[in-house]
Amino acid sequence: MTFTTSERFPRIPSSRWFAALACASAAIIMLAASVACAQTPAEIKARGKLVVGVMVDVPPYAILNEDNKPDGYDADIAKLLAKRMGVPLDMVVVTGPNRIPYLLTGKVDMLVAVLGIIPERSKLVLFSEPYSGFSQFVWAPKSAKVTGPADLKGMTIGVPRANTADISLSKIVPPGTNILRFDDDASVRQALAAGQVDVVTASTTSIPAMERLTGKGKYERKFDLNTQVEGVAVRPSATELLAWVNEAISAWKADRTIEKINDKWVGAPLPDLKMPTQ
Amino acid sequence: MTYAVDFTPVFAAFGALLTGLWLSIRLAALAAAIGGAVALLLAAGKLSGKRTLRAPVDAYVELIRNTPLLVQVFFVFFGLPALGMRLRPDTAALVALTLNAAAYMTEIMRAGIESVSRTQVEAGLALGLHRLQVFRLIVLVPALRAVFPALTSQFNVLLLGTSVVSAISADELTHVGEYIVSLTYRSFEVYVTIGAMYFVASWAFALLFGVFERRLFAYPA
Repeated sequence: MTFTTSERFPRIPSSRWFAALACASAAIIMLAASVACAQTPAEIKARGKLVVGVMVDVPPYAILNEDNKPDGYDADIAKLLAKRMGVPLDMVVVTGPNRIPYLLTGKVDMLVAVLGIIPERSKLVLFSEPYSGFSQFVWAPKSAKVTGPADLKGMTIGVPRANTADISLSKIVPPGTNILRFDDDASVRQALAAGQVDVVTASTTSIPAMERLTGKGKYERKFDLNTQVEGVAVRPSATELLAWVNEAISAWKADRTIEKINDKWVGAPLPDLKMPTQ
Repeated sequence: MTYAVDFTPVFAAFGALLTGLWLSIRLAALAAAIGGAVALLLAAGKLSGKRTLRAPVDAYVELIRNTPLLVQVFFVFFGLPALGMRLRPDTAALVALTLNAAAYMTEIMRAGIESVSRTQVEAGLALGLHRLQVFRLIVLVPALRAVFPALTSQFNVLLLGTSVVSAISADELTHVGEYIVSLTYRSFEVYVTIGAMYFVASWAFALLFGVFERRLFAYPA
């Protein structure tokens, strides 16, 4: 009857299938291009939303609030950026290891993700002027006479393994200093509370948690190790967007908006927010 | 995504890794030796037939065998200072590993002792030997021979288990490896290397114990 030629029957659906696949891929490519790869403030405004990558696991800079929405220092900055641009904000949750790939593959327009400005990262992304920062320092009992690295000889120091404080400290302590390296900040706090270490490295943000374990007023900041500053990151090609972000941050530094956000979330004095020299 | 494998930073730190392995081996060997001796005493106590000896040994063995090694390590390092006992990381690691090994080896030793026929003990007693002489001259060697493979595999568990004490900053192989990972981000290369080092060490000990077994217990069954 109608289906006399046996080879004709399978060919029709397969060509339809290919057509559908082609349409779908084209749609996906166009969608991706229009949604994520906005490079300039004008393109973002035309699209009608600002897509920002934020973290949620670095308190007090990046947390989840009671409604399970990203919140904290960084979220406040992201909200201000969207407001200044006059578009709604879309916050995408990123993690330490995936944040730079999210930016580089165009899933977000920019990162406000506790991203410390360091040379290794500056090779991959463009950093804005710093908008936040914290210092790391040596934290020891008030009674201990520690004014510089030389005084740490013979003491036992707890540090989180190979974090920036460990690296800074290891370079400057005299031989014979016993540095114990733990997996994380929590173990370092435990070791201090248990008296297993005399001295620890701490940062402006870790003091409240430390004092919950050891009590207030028994320890003090002895000498500083380093200051880390964080910047907004954009793709290397997005120079126009970077200029726009820098202008916003400069304005917020001038009118003390940044300082107010720091007071609200960190509660410790803001270090000098200047671009590190590389 | 392509990943360029690069072992150079790992080989640059190979000396540190060997030092770490040496601490792992020393921890395991000491914990096995002390733990084994303690276990023999505990097993003998457990089989003495006296309730006052058996109950505390049972309680100890069950407590250790039903809690994770990591928790025991944390208890010794972070918990004991509250009772006024402050141990350095490697000492704390040795104490925790010994306590752990002794509990498992107690049960192995018990099985070994029970494997020796009751009639041999009775024969010894009938010859006028003291109970301790019976244990030393008649029971001990056949008991150890019966469970020697189990003891050696317990040693290997212990050797690999030393990796857990990196959590209290003892500088054994895993701790050194993790430090290199933190500095170089070469996690794949580092973990492959320390995995191979554990494998070689563990395997070498298994061979060595095989030689021991043939030398020490080479008598007809």
